[in-house]
Formats: sequence, structure tokens, C-alpha cells
Amino acid sequence: MAEVQLSALNKTFGAVEIIPQLTLTIPDGSFTVLVGPSGCGKSTLLRMIAGLETPTRGSIHIGGRDVTGSEPSERGISMVFQSYALFPHMTVRQNIDFGLRLAKVPAVERDARVAKAADILHLQPLLDRKPAALSGGQRQRVAIGRSIVRNPEVFLFDEPLSNLDAALRTQMRVELAELHKRLAATMVYVTHDQVEAMTLADQIVVMNAGRIEQVGSPEELYRHPQTIFVATFIGSPKMNLLTGPIAEERGATTYGIRPEHLSLTEEGGWSAQVKFTEYLGNETILYLTSELGELTLRINGNQRFGTGDSVRVKADKVHEHLFDGKGRRIG
Amino acid sequence: MNMSAFFAGLGRAVVLMLVSAFVLGPMLVTILGGFKSAGELRTNPFGFPQNWQTEFFSSILSDATFWRFLGNSLFISLVSVVLTLIVAAAAAYVFAQIRFFGARWLQAYLLLGLVFPFATAILPLFIKVRDLGLLDSYWAVILPQTAFGLSLSILLFKTFFEQLPKELFEAAWVEGCGYVRFFWRFTLPLSTPILATVGTFVFVSSWNNFLLPLVVLNSRELYTWPLGMMQFRGEYVVEWNRTLAFITLTILPSVAFFLAAQKYIVAGLTGGAVKG
Repeated sequence: MAEVQLSALNKTFGAVEIIPQLTLTIPDGSFTVLVGPSGCGKSTLLRMIAGLETPTRGSIHIGGRDVTGSEPSERGISMVFQSYALFPHMTVRQNIDFGLRLAKVPAVERDARVAKAADILHLQPLLDRKPAALSGGQRQRVAIGRSIVRNPEVFLFDEPLSNLDAALRTQMRVELAELHKRLAATMVYVTHDQVEAMTLADQIVVMNAGRIEQVGSPEELYRHPQTIFVATFIGSPKMNLLTGPIAEERGATTYGIRPEHLSLTEEGGWSAQVKFTEYLGNETILYLTSELGELTLRINGNQRFGTGDSVRVKADKVHEHLFDGKGRRIG
Repeated sequence: MNMSAFFAGLGRAVVLMLVSAFVLGPMLVTILGGFKSAGELRTNPFGFPQNWQTEFFSSILSDATFWRFLGNSLFISLVSVVLTLIVAAAAAYVFAQIRFFGARWLQAYLLLGLVFPFATAILPLFIKVRDLGLLDSYWAVILPQTAFGLSLSILLFKTFFEQLPKELFEAAWVEGCGYVRFFWRFTLPLSTPILATVGTFVFVSSWNNFLLPLVVLNSRELYTWPLGMMQFRGEYVVEWNRTLAFITLTILPSVAFFLAAQKYIVAGLTGGAVKG
């Protein structure tokens, strides 16, 4: 297990600068999630750590070693791909021990490692099947098994749950969290899904257009987003952002409040009309048009509202966010 | 079924039967002709023979030179297939996997071979083969055939290889697998459809090749079966039944090869899908 240090990384494809200049430390044993919208450079960054892409400038250190010029197999990493990338003409067992066979690991040790991985991931009954005979979740576990047997210093995951259906995704998320605890490994995980980021990560790195917007724990990013981008990216439904008097009288350009920190009130607050209701079973999302602008509000349970109903809304003052003209946090 | 659908179906069946007749008719004449006497062949070309005369088939099958011709053709065709598969697959692999300076120029140059008519190359080819000292040998046929077949083969392989998911290579790369090993361990095993398709194509065109062996082969012991048939025909200029029997026998290896390869040809020409 090792720390990953990225120093002044730049990646340019021809005339396009994907990552201008990025410096980041991924602590030993952490579960770090790189999250951001499509095209923000998170996958490129992961591939540079893996050695599948070479940085145009800058260096990468894994466990104190400079691996910038090293082959992927020499870096002490292993990678799980979005499409699993299982070898279709090999059995599950051969998929898992392929790297070990290439490295000429003795058969006894090879079988032991495969057995251990199969045990952790419940793959024993599947070892002699080919990938075509497996379900999506099973394939993903084989891909993870293939990365475990290498005993790498760092595990890399490139959107591994994107190809799974919602129920399976939730289950695999839990399994990944348990795997992290069990192996106590450094894991770097790329996703565009902020729910995966919030639930799995010790440390979240929010990226936008090749730059790091903020690095911190899920709680820190949720409670104290440093930029408007982070504030609207983390949390679903998105944070309400209002400009105008409500922000100016507090010395800011933009005023932010999360839907869960708004509540309905009988008196006081702001007046609003219900535009649309979303009933989710355990909660209700209200889309309102208010005197301040468009608002989204979240309340527990099922409360029925008709379109056009008038309501009054108040904000929890403890959870207000203020941003300046450049979208940066104030206070 | 209403009337217009019935007539449409009937019309379709009639057209298809006519087309089949055009294809199967000559085949039938060929196969059955070998069993007929010369007279019967003239009067009753399409029908079944009155008396099945087996002496023509048996005389050919017992003739040592026939087996010699067949053996020559088989050796030349099989070696051409193996050589073409290895060289074309390797070249296509490089084009599909690696981006290097001049790659597109090289590919365009190789594609030019597709439009190059073989007949115009006969004289320069003869001179080249003679200068290499290969005249009147198996290699005089094998090497030019391989060379001319490379254009289409490389194109077909490249299209197929490009459809292999890139992440497959990356996953193998992370495990420590280099380019060359990946070719042998992954690309080739996963390419059985296109290998079978290209192999069949090369085999059949080599098997039926007449012009090249005619030009470069002199010794009768090296003759392929088309040349053998020409000799045959000269000897028995009016015995069509013997000729047809000969042709029937020489078609069989081609058909056998195709049937063997058929199992592996799954939409080989359209690329096939490999889901990792």
C-alpha cells in the first residue's frame, strides 16, 4: 500500500490541453474518488497514474518511487475498467491468473492467490466458466479479482459500476467499501456519479475542465463547498442558487441553500407557488417559483401538493452558503 | 393468405428457382457428365445417366499423375494460405495497434494492390521470378500468389482487428503483456472468423489459379491440376466425359476446405463483434 503523489502534471493532446497543471497527494490507504462531469479529465488522470498515458509534463510517484517513465506492470498498480475488459477466450481462472502466469509465478503460489481472491469475491463456482457465461455483476467481480491477485500498491477503478443496473450498483458499492476495509489498500476511483463519491470516499477530488476544484472529505465538500461548481455538483437535488438582494444584503453575489435546508412554514419566510411535485416514497421534492426565483425544496414523507398551490418557505440560517462574483466561497 | 401475397410469393419462388437453375445446372452437367458415355452426354446433358459408367472416374483415380497434380495444388495452396495469414495478420496488427509516421501512406500503398490486375504483371513477374532463380519451382507460384493476396487480406484483417476493444489491450498491458505477446495470445485466438474467411478465400483462389502456374512452371511433375487438365484435354480432345470427371474430382478438396472452415466463419467479412 502506498501514497500516490502527482506533481505539476500536464497533459496535452496536440492543441488541446486536457489537464493544465495538477498537483495532488493521495494518502496511503485512502479511498480517493475523482469525480466530475464528462470530459473533466478524471479518466485521463487515472490513466496517467496507471501508465496507459504519458504525462506531457510533471511527475508521478507511487510509494516514493518515480514511476513517470515506467511501464504499467512495473508501477505496482492494477486497474479495473468500465467495460470489465475480461479476456473472452479464457476461463475466469485464466483471466485472474494471467498476470501471474506472465510473471512466471510458481503454480502453487498462483493457485493459492486465485483461491484467496475467489474466496473474497465469491467466485469459486465460476472459476471454469468463460466471461460470456457470466452476468454483469459476476464479470465485474472477476475484473476485481484479476486486480487483487497482483497484490498491488494502488488499486485503480475507472467507472467500474457504470455498466450495471441500479440495484446491482448499490450492492457492488457496499462490496467495494467492504473490500477496501478488508484489504486496507490505497484505492483511486473515478466516477461521474456523486452518490458513489459521497458513499465510498475518504477523500473526494472534484474536477472540472482539467482542474481540481476542491479536495476534501465528503462531509467537508457537502458542508463547506469552496466554489459554486462543487456546491452544485455535490448533493442531489442541486443546491438552490439565488442572486439579487438576498445575496447582496449579505455581502455576496450568490446565495446558496440546499433543498433539504428549506422548509415550509405557516408565517414569515418567502411566498412561492408550486410548479411541480416529485413523490419519491420516502421524500417529496417540490419545484417552486418564489419571489426570489426558482427554488427546489425537499421534505420527508409524502405530502401532496397541487400545481399552483401557494406556500411559504423559510431557510435554515445555519446552512446558508455565500459566494462572491468569481464563484468562490465567502466565509 | 390473400391473392396478391400468394402471387408475390409464387413470383419470388419462380425467380429463385431460375437463378438456382443457372448455378446448379452446369454443376449437375459436370457431376453427372462424368458418368455418361460420350454419346449420351451429347443427347442427354442434364438428365441422369442411363447406365452409370464408372470407368472414367476410376481411370482418373488410379492414374498416378492425377494425384501428383492434386498434391502439387494442395501443397501450393496450403503454403500460400499459411504464409498469407501470418504476413497479413502481422501487418494488419501493426496498422491497427500502432500509430507511426507514414502509416497511412503505407496502408494506401498496400491498398493499391487491390486495383492491380494480375494479367498486366505477368511479364515483369516472370522476369523477376527468373532473376530470383525460382523459375519452375513451387515457390514461383506460392510467393507471387501470397504477395497479390496481401492487399485484400490486410484490409480484412485490419478492419476486424480494429473492432477488438482497446480496453482489452490495456487490461493485458497492465498485466505485463507486450505488443508481440498480445498478438499471439489475444488477437489471433480471437480472430478465428476472419482467419477462416481469409484462409478460405486464399485457398480457393490459389486452387483455381491457372495463369500464374502456366507461366512459371515447366516441369510436368510440378503441374497444378488446372495445368494437368489442359494436358489431359489435349490428349482426349473429344472426351468431355473424362474431362468432366476430372473437374468433379478437383472441385472436391476446395469444397472440403470450405466446409471445414465454415464452422469458424461467423460473419467474418463484416467483422464480427467481440464483447469483452
